[in-house]
Amino acid sequence: MTTTRNPQTLMAISPEENFDFLFKIVLIGDAGTGKTCVVSRFKNGKYEESHGSTIGVDFSLKTVNIEGKQVKLQIWDTAGQERFRTITQSYYRSANGVIIVYDIAKRQTFTNLQKWIDEVRRYTGSNVLLILVGNKCDLESEREVEFSEAEAMCQFVPEILFVMETSAKENKNIEDAFVCLAAELMKRHVGNNVQNDENLVNLGQGKPVSSCSSSCNLT
Amino acid sequence: MGENSLPGEFDLLVQGTGFTESIVAAAASRIGKTVLHIDSNEYYGGQWASFNLEGFQKHLSESPNFQATQNWNTDESETSEWTKENILKTSRRFSIDLTPKLLFSRGKLVKLLISSNICRYAEFRAADNVCTFEESTSSLKSVPCSRTDVFNSKDLTIIEKRLLMKLLNSFLNYKDEEVPEEFKNYLGKPFLEFLKFQRLTPKIINNVMNSISMCDEDALLEEGIEKTKNFLLNLGFYGNTPFLFPMYGCGEIPQCFCRLCAVFGGVYCLKKPISKIEEKDDEISFTTDNQVIKAKKLVFGSSNIPEELLSSEKKTDHCCGGLSRGVFILEKPLGSEELNSGGGGVNFLKLPGGNGGAFILQLSHYSGTCPKGLHLVHITSKSSSTPSDDLQPFVEKLFTDEHKPLYTAYFTLPSCSSKVSTTENIVECCGTFFELDYDKSIENAEMVFKKLYPDEEFLPRAPDPEEIIIENEDPTAISEHTLPEDLKAQLLLEESSKEV
Repeated sequence: MTTTRNPQTLMAISPEENFDFLFKIVLIGDAGTGKTCVVSRFKNGKYEESHGSTIGVDFSLKTVNIEGKQVKLQIWDTAGQERFRTITQSYYRSANGVIIVYDIAKRQTFTNLQKWIDEVRRYTGSNVLLILVGNKCDLESEREVEFSEAEAMCQFVPEILFVMETSAKENKNIEDAFVCLAAELMKRHVGNNVQNDENLVNLGQGKPVSSCSSSCNLT
Repeated sequence: MGENSLPGEFDLLVQGTGFTESIVAAAASRIGKTVLHIDSNEYYGGQWASFNLEGFQKHLSESPNFQATQNWNTDESETSEWTKENILKTSRRFSIDLTPKLLFSRGKLVKLLISSNICRYAEFRAADNVCTFEESTSSLKSVPCSRTDVFNSKDLTIIEKRLLMKLLNSFLNYKDEEVPEEFKNYLGKPFLEFLKFQRLTPKIINNVMNSISMCDEDALLEEGIEKTKNFLLNLGFYGNTPFLFPMYGCGEIPQCFCRLCAVFGGVYCLKKPISKIEEKDDEISFTTDNQVIKAKKLVFGSSNIPEELLSSEKKTDHCCGGLSRGVFILEKPLGSEELNSGGGGVNFLKLPGGNGGAFILQLSHYSGTCPKGLHLVHITSKSSSTPSDDLQPFVEKLFTDEHKPLYTAYFTLPSCSSKVSTTENIVECCGTFFELDYDKSIENAEMVFKKLYPDEEFLPRAPDPEEIIIENEDPTAISEHTLPEDLKAQLLLEESSKEV
């Protein structure tokens, strides 16, 4: 049996590549709320206590099975650009889902949520799905944000689909948060699971001219 | 160290987040240098930024050196859909470039984006039409680019089609080593003279001169051949034209380089002016937010030169900037319905004229830069007087009564003639140039990088996430012994062919 390979990188194209849906999910939220740990727990099932910033890691890929469909998630981390509130607009472009992370043991990260919601409104498409994640719920004794407050915020901000408290450290609700978001995205995209707008050009993927009529990515 | 203070030392400080500075920042970060990338503005991109409509209006009114004028000409009657108020309501749907560009599909920037793997941060739309202005009918016509287009064109007669194909083929096959007879007598002479001698119709000459080669009237044959060839060789990769336009505007491009810089550890601060720059014993120190920071090297953009570096003696020999710009919002797009089928896309027109003519770009909502139902037109020329005077000849041609712009803005991107003192460790990046693509700016970025780090590779390919082996993860995937059979066979084959 011959394996299919990407002609440029010689990387084997795994069976995982056979997916039904592909969604881009971006994580935002204040520095130190555990965004990278959340992604790392979901992706590798591991928790790294003192996680320095991982040089060179751009986004993570993970495929989940939802109702018999392979849903591939491309999860983007902020690359530290949130620290001085300098996330580029281009980070938000073409995102299907946004996860805003706050720290339940740090009130400031919750009160800053409005600023993040404003950014989402400003830079994302109108059909983007937004969820709220209160991370570090293992730190019950240091809790500064009640879950009921977060729920109230959901009522107040119609764009937010749901809120969930998670713990990357104790692996609580992490998988659920992603899977629920993915399931909702899938529900909204059923019927048009054609992966890409035909008109978009992605560079470098060597698409034949015939398959990309007028807009593309250069990979 | 407080939560919001910066580390005290960096290898490189980059001031300004324009296109050129951002490439240098990304390239330095990519080879492992610690980079602090700062902008005194609260937005990315400097002179290369894009703004929503309200932001754009504000930016023009707050930039005294832009010589900006703005004018609304909307129909305010009750039946009108696009009143000023309604247009402003859609402000966020706009992404208005200070410096609009088109990319050749095999041009320098596209190649750089692919080779560095930065292309994954951006999406593009292939330009829909390359247009030409037909003087006899005062209308825009599509220039047929591919063989099929030439033969399907309704604007050319059968004889014209044959002549055009023959001419284009002769350019494609042109080699310096064996110059064909018909070219020989015209080397060193004007391209236009050569075209006129080929017994072509004025229509074909106009197409080749102004749209395909985009040559000035006094260009020589050699330049004409090179530019025509380049146009033709960029065809056939994406869509029907040789050009790509970045979705959501050209302001995205510097941000893509910034993201790469950040992914490799670069630190970003906007809205942070720096002061008290001093160079002493091969070390640069500066102050921001009352914090003194040290850096080994400093790069800055020419639109934002730190006061300390202004000098009265040294004069830089480059001349960037100096562009006259027009931005227009239209309800009815320029050109026939055919040119705007399906709601329009990205149409490009080069108009000849003194001083290099003008680049004109018409964008529909499919480009992600304006709301559905409206069209954005950008005009760019070299500046010689006020922006509105410079662009008047082009504006008069294009905007007839039925295409009256609802909103008009003129501004200048000032030229940089400032005197700057640079040293071995303090280097200036140029601003925008009058060019359709980014070639000169990329050359400039590479030059700056080589000056700072002469022995290092410029933007090698960044790995894909799957290729990165994070500590503690199972590294067997790349162990030689566990290579899958087919790949092993392939490697062995390569090695044995080397030995032979």
